[in-house]
Amino acid sequence: MSRPGFVLSVDERTPPLLVHQGEGFRLERLPLGTNVIYPPDSLPGIRNLDAEIARAIHNPIGIEPLPELLKPGMRLTVVFDDLSLPLPPMQTPDVRQRVVEQVLELAARAGVDDVELIAANSLHRRMTPAELKRVVGERVFRSFFPDHLGNHDAEDRDNLVEIGKTEHGEVVELNRRAMESDLVVYVNITLTAMSGGPKSLSVGLASYRSLRHHHNVHTLRHSRSFNDPPNSAMHHSYERMKDLIGEHVKVFQIETTVNNDTFPSSMGFLNKREWEWNLADQAAYVAVKRGNELLPARARRKIWQSTLAPYGVTGVNAGVPSQVHPITLANVHRQQLTEVDGQADVAIFGLPYICPYNVNSIMNPILVMSLGLGYFFNLYKNKPIVRQGGTAIFYHPVPHEFHPVHHPSYIDFFDEILTESTDPVVLETKYEEQFATDPWYVQLYRKSYAYHGVHPFYMWYWGAHALEHLGEVIFVGGNRKTTARMGFKAASTLADALEIASHTVGRSPTITYQHTPPLVMADVR
Amino acid sequence: MILSLQYQRSPARYLASKGITSTKPGRRFAGMVAGNISPLRLVNLPAPDLPGEGWTRVVPMLSGICGSDLGLLTGQSSPYLSPVTSMPFVPGHEVVGETLDEVPGVPAGSRVVLDPVLSCEPRGTKLCRWCTAGQHSRCDHITTGRIAAGLQTGFCADTGGGWSRRFVAHHSQLHVIPDELTNERAVLVEPLACAVHSVRRVQVPATSTVAVIGAGTVGLMTLLALKELAPDVPVHVVAKHKHQQDRALALGAAAVHQPDRATRAIRRTTTARMHVPEFGSEFLLGGVDIVFECTGGATGLDTALRLARAGGTVVVSGMPSGSVDLTPLWFRELTLVGAYASGQADAETRVGDDDAQPDAESRSRDGGRGVVGRKKASEERASLGRDRRPEIDGSPTDFHIAMSLAASAPLDDWVEPPYPLRRWREALAHAIDAGKLGSVKIAFAPGKD
Amino acid sequence: MGIRDEIQLLRHGRDWRGRSTVPRSADPYVLDDGEREFPTDWARTRPGRVARSVLQRGLLKPVTWSQTRPVVEGVEYLENLRGPVVFVANHSSHLDAPLIVGSVPRRFADKLAVGAAADYFFDARWRAVASALFFNTFPVERHGQRRLRSLAVELLDEGWSLLLFPEGTRSEDGWMSAFKSGTAQLCVSRGVPVVPIAIRGAYAAMPRGRNWPVPGRPRIAVRYGRPLIPVEGEGFRELRERMMRAVARLNSEEDLGWYGALRADADDTLPLPTRRQTAGSQAVPPPGWRRIWESTRPLEDRRRRRVWTW
Repeated sequence: MSRPGFVLSVDERTPPLLVHQGEGFRLERLPLGTNVIYPPDSLPGIRNLDAEIARAIHNPIGIEPLPELLKPGMRLTVVFDDLSLPLPPMQTPDVRQRVVEQVLELAARAGVDDVELIAANSLHRRMTPAELKRVVGERVFRSFFPDHLGNHDAEDRDNLVEIGKTEHGEVVELNRRAMESDLVVYVNITLTAMSGGPKSLSVGLASYRSLRHHHNVHTLRHSRSFNDPPNSAMHHSYERMKDLIGEHVKVFQIETTVNNDTFPSSMGFLNKREWEWNLADQAAYVAVKRGNELLPARARRKIWQSTLAPYGVTGVNAGVPSQVHPITLANVHRQQLTEVDGQADVAIFGLPYICPYNVNSIMNPILVMSLGLGYFFNLYKNKPIVRQGGTAIFYHPVPHEFHPVHHPSYIDFFDEILTESTDPVVLETKYEEQFATDPWYVQLYRKSYAYHGVHPFYMWYWGAHALEHLGEVIFVGGNRKTTARMGFKAASTLADALEIASHTVGRSPTITYQHTPPLVMADVR
Repeated sequence: MILSLQYQRSPARYLASKGITSTKPGRRFAGMVAGNISPLRLVNLPAPDLPGEGWTRVVPMLSGICGSDLGLLTGQSSPYLSPVTSMPFVPGHEVVGETLDEVPGVPAGSRVVLDPVLSCEPRGTKLCRWCTAGQHSRCDHITTGRIAAGLQTGFCADTGGGWSRRFVAHHSQLHVIPDELTNERAVLVEPLACAVHSVRRVQVPATSTVAVIGAGTVGLMTLLALKELAPDVPVHVVAKHKHQQDRALALGAAAVHQPDRATRAIRRTTTARMHVPEFGSEFLLGGVDIVFECTGGATGLDTALRLARAGGTVVVSGMPSGSVDLTPLWFRELTLVGAYASGQADAETRVGDDDAQPDAESRSRDGGRGVVGRKKASEERASLGRDRRPEIDGSPTDFHIAMSLAASAPLDDWVEPPYPLRRWREALAHAIDAGKLGSVKIAFAPGKD
Repeated sequence: MGIRDEIQLLRHGRDWRGRSTVPRSADPYVLDDGEREFPTDWARTRPGRVARSVLQRGLLKPVTWSQTRPVVEGVEYLENLRGPVVFVANHSSHLDAPLIVGSVPRRFADKLAVGAAADYFFDARWRAVASALFFNTFPVERHGQRRLRSLAVELLDEGWSLLLFPEGTRSEDGWMSAFKSGTAQLCVSRGVPVVPIAIRGAYAAMPRGRNWPVPGRPRIAVRYGRPLIPVEGEGFRELRERMMRAVARLNSEEDLGWYGALRADADDTLPLPTRRQTAGSQAVPPPGWRRIWESTRPLEDRRRRRVWTW
């Protein structure tokens, strides 16, 4: 029986607590009385995963079992989540591979010839063949790549189709092949409560024309939080689009959830509570930390990026998206939800080395912002863990580094656009269109491995709610130039950060530290 | 005997300087090289004799240090130029001074700026085709005539140069300046004229996009000239140092970019496509129409070639050094335009401008800049009445435009407090690091002790 | 941050073993870590065996034999015995194990594992390491769920002889208490011979609570008995009874002599420990202080005198 999450109150006997800080981590002695939100212990993974997948496929919710849906001569499209999920990438075999193999097994038995596999990468960069192979497995890859296994191309006008408009006038333009299939099987991993369900298809296979209706400053400011679908304007838009998609094509969604085994055993201490570290954990901490610091930057990144999570799967469920997703969400909450009493003046977050957009890449300042003010800040239900006008303190070095192939538009966004303004609304109205339609970005998105030109804007909007909510944003250990460019402050220590924060929250603020990763979602009462 | 900085012939020192400064770490020691290894000496020399009729002695009040001087002293200038100089010589060709002798058009005691080119007229030779056309910077006779070889004052053994207390100049080289024009501004007239010249070497339609690589003296002045001659054209300036960026913005640059970000930034505004070769820096498919290379370095020219659109133009303003990959020139069918010293609007351009109907049309379509610019210049001529040759064949000379620019442009803090000659090492070191040290133009005040 | 600062920070609030106190608010969430099992395999590797052999012969036996005067009898019964056997002995002192280990023939000593109480010997790491190194101990659970899941079977199958104290604990008063069933069950199920051993005088020499023998080199008798071989169809209760009788008889030899003890056995007058006090038992052990009094009585050096009086 794994323990539930809980809120630690730092007292005299609390050892220094671990804080992630980019490609590294540190121990920090937090002020007495600081509340620390711990996630529930990692849930046990399903032992016989294949049997569980089979069970889910044969007993779906709200739709016929998959074997009954598969007919000879049909057009079958299998869509799967791209490499942005889960984080860090899962040790092979990826659960998507296991699901896809079972689906294809059934399809083969039913005599389906026309099968297409599409990664739902939306405006994310294309996955490389190696990355595709990692997700779907050797067998599937060999059988389908490159002709029938590939990435969604949101700029391929010939392979997009507008299936209509929602009652709010939102254009729904999606991948033509998927929309003109007899059956779409969506294979999902829901890592946070944000993903999955109606989001899968309406974002994963959409084009910029369609995405702009939910990926914009307005919806994101009214998504409180975007990890809590009922209170997220963004998800309301997905819901509307989902209905339209549902009328158009039959969707069989298979959703999976993973537990909190985020770090491999060599870094097991990162999964443990600090006062339970034994000597071996402590030795590992010192060894890994020192080793990490001594490594040249390039080697360090390589090692972190090749870290694979030994995730256990906590649930596999299949059916129509609207009916499977609540079960999936319950599974996510079971693993991540911790109740927290009230909001604090100051919230502390340790930002790790990875976010959904820098798998096998570099976490640039924009991504740091989106991870901190977007993802982590929004890991809440009901209320943010920090009060309106409070301070958020993030730990990250925020280096001025960009991946020239993966994030070309980010470079321009950072160097030229953020110097003009950091206000999401200004950026949206003045520059979004220009970046979204820049032919070079489009070309790199389609032919190289670049994120779409408009993607850095979405990253900035991701933090729009936090920007509006927070009085002050401070990066401990942050590069002064880059943080200043983004309109934030840098402090060299936590004490300095609290000193800076004292102007807005006073000398003895209440502090909450969200101890993550592994992921924890605060249910603030 | 007059105090002079004299440059002597010394292949060994030249090669040693070149050897040091052509390596990357050696470039840091450029100041040391200019001060200690280059064959420059502070010596007392006999004052140069007047070579003949029409020549006058000039007492320099301010003498600028030009990029080409520094190139010479750090061993970066090309050996190509050695036959068109005569050693030993006294450098210094950006001069504002006072004449001592009465010559046609220039009374003794006039404050003058020097147009340093030693063309047919000073040399007393028969006018070559260029000098006939008023484009004396292209003169073919710079190695003959009554004085020793030398493309300009400051490279000729017989005339002396600005970095001394006395030199000689032909009246055709001198432009009397109005009293309102301070020495500090006047010393900028010659480089400004060069900048004006470089801009007038090409046509700059109002719809075009222009990039200026480098924001040293040449770069900033090119920007100034562009804003004067083609005010509506957006100019991107690539500047390394903060003060240069600020100055460029103040002068009306559409945008300034760090050198390492320039390609990306220009790509975005021109919606070009950028590509990164396996070796070497990135280049654009698409890009700007005209690039002015104003750094005098190989890197600057390389960047310029990579930024220009297909069929675009690259103007080489700075004295080039080093070697450059010319593949983009060939591949993108670029036009490489040289711009040396000053003179007259490009003969071809000017002829086309005045006579050929389509070109005239295109100019007026582009806002009639050529015509307006000229009108403006000729109006100002009235106030600068003592200039003897404001225009040739109806077109104002570069020097004339430069002179009016020097009077009107915001150039107040461009010239650092001048150095006396005996602090020449300091001055040269300052000039070499001018960008880094927040300066634009370093000058000698040879009269100062 | 330097490595020293790093370690200092890490050590903050932790004891010398690196354990941290649990923060007050985390107390309700402390895991019951009953699952720990100290690994002892290393003690049975070749280097472990060599080290133990050296320690036993070079340190353990000389020290024990110098502080006490053991008299060892009956080792000859082991002459024809091969393969893994289970030694069972009464247990009244920490001297028991060194005495047996020091007196058992070498071929057994080299491949002997000693069952030790997991809750006592394997509670503290240093004690676990030391006992595993000197005696090749393996943890035996005395309570709880995992009692039945012991290494004993595995060790027997690997050819190790075992030394077990079936009483389960050292005697409080020097008298033997009833054997627990585990040893008998083990021997019955694996069909291995049982060698009974009785130790007299160890309680007097070093009872519970002492950690060094009393001064004066007290005499201690270590008697080996004839191996008991589980017979076909014998239940573990019967074997346990036989083991207990054998040890009790060897124990009585000290007082009654060999034949006397045999007779007492035959007459069923041996002071056998029982779980329940049954009315029919002839030898009701003396109560309270007298038991301790009896068991602390110094042993007479009777053997030598017997030679003379024979």
